[in-house]
Amino acid sequence: MPRSAPVPGELGVTLERSDAACALLKVEGEIDTLTADDLDRGCEQLLAAPSDVLVIDLSHVTFLASSGLAVLIRAAHQAGERRLRLVTAARAVRRPLEITGSEQLFDLYADRAAAMTQAD
Amino acid sequence: MTVHYRRHQEGTDRVSDLDSHPLADTPGGPSVVEVRTSATAALIPTIRAVASDLAARADFDLDAISDLRMAVDEACATLVDVAAPSTMLQCTFTVYPEHIEVHAQVLGGTADAEVSTDTFGWRVLQTLADDVEAIRQIGVDHAAPTVGIRLDKRAGVPPR
Repeated sequence: MPRSAPVPGELGVTLERSDAACALLKVEGEIDTLTADDLDRGCEQLLAAPSDVLVIDLSHVTFLASSGLAVLIRAAHQAGERRLRLVTAARAVRRPLEITGSEQLFDLYADRAAAMTQAD
Repeated sequence: MTVHYRRHQEGTDRVSDLDSHPLADTPGGPSVVEVRTSATAALIPTIRAVASDLAARADFDLDAISDLRMAVDEACATLVDVAAPSTMLQCTFTVYPEHIEVHAQVLGGTADAEVSTDTFGWRVLQTLADDVEAIRQIGVDHAAPTVGIRLDKRAGVPPR
C-alpha cells in the first residue's frame, strides 16, 4: 500500500481556505488518540468560518481511529444545517466511516475538486 | 520494544517472563508473534503496523486488513489508558490460515482497573472484530489486576 503520510503519530491540519462560499480544512497523516486533539482544533476553526460550504479533505489521511471518528461526528452535529463534506479517497478513511454507519452524517466526495466545485 | 517471531520453535526456551504460548511449538501450526512495548500511546502506531503487516502476509482482504489495524489500535489505546505507569503492554498475535487472534494485556494502574465496555470505542471494536472480549484477572493479595482484550478477525468479510 502506498503511504504518503509524514511520520506516524503526526498530523498536519491546515485551514486552506475560508471565505463566504467555502471553507477547506486539509488533514494529512494518522488520526488516533495522539492526534485527535489536533483534528478537533482544526474542526473548531472550520466551524467558525462564515462559509456556506464546509469541506474536510481527508485524502491524505492514512489511519482513522474511533477517537478521530468521534471528533468528526461531533463536528457534524455542530455544523447542523451546513452539512460537512468529506473528501475520502482512501480506504483508511472510508472503511471506518462505512463500518460504523457514520458516513450518513456527511456528504462524501471522491476528490477535492468535486467537493469544492459545487460550492463555487 | 521487543518483537518475537516464533514458529516451529524447538526446545523449551522461554522468550519472555510471561507465559510461553501453547501453540508456538506445534509443527505446521499457527505462527505466534508477540510484541511488548512500554504501555504508552506513542508506541501504538508501531503495534498497529505489525498487525497490518501480519494480516497482509496472511492474505487478508483489504477491508479486513484495515479493520484489524483499527481494532488493534482501539484495543491498545483502551488498555494504555488503564495501565500502571512505567509498565509494559503485551500484544500477542496468533496467525491461523483464515483468521488472526489478538490478545493484548497490561497491568492495571489501580485495583479496580478494567476495560470500559460502555464507550463508543468499544462499540467500534465490536463492529471491527468478528469476536471480542474484555478479560480481567485479579491480582494476588489485592495487587493490581491484569487487564486485557482478546479479539479475533477473519481473513475475509462474509457476504451480508
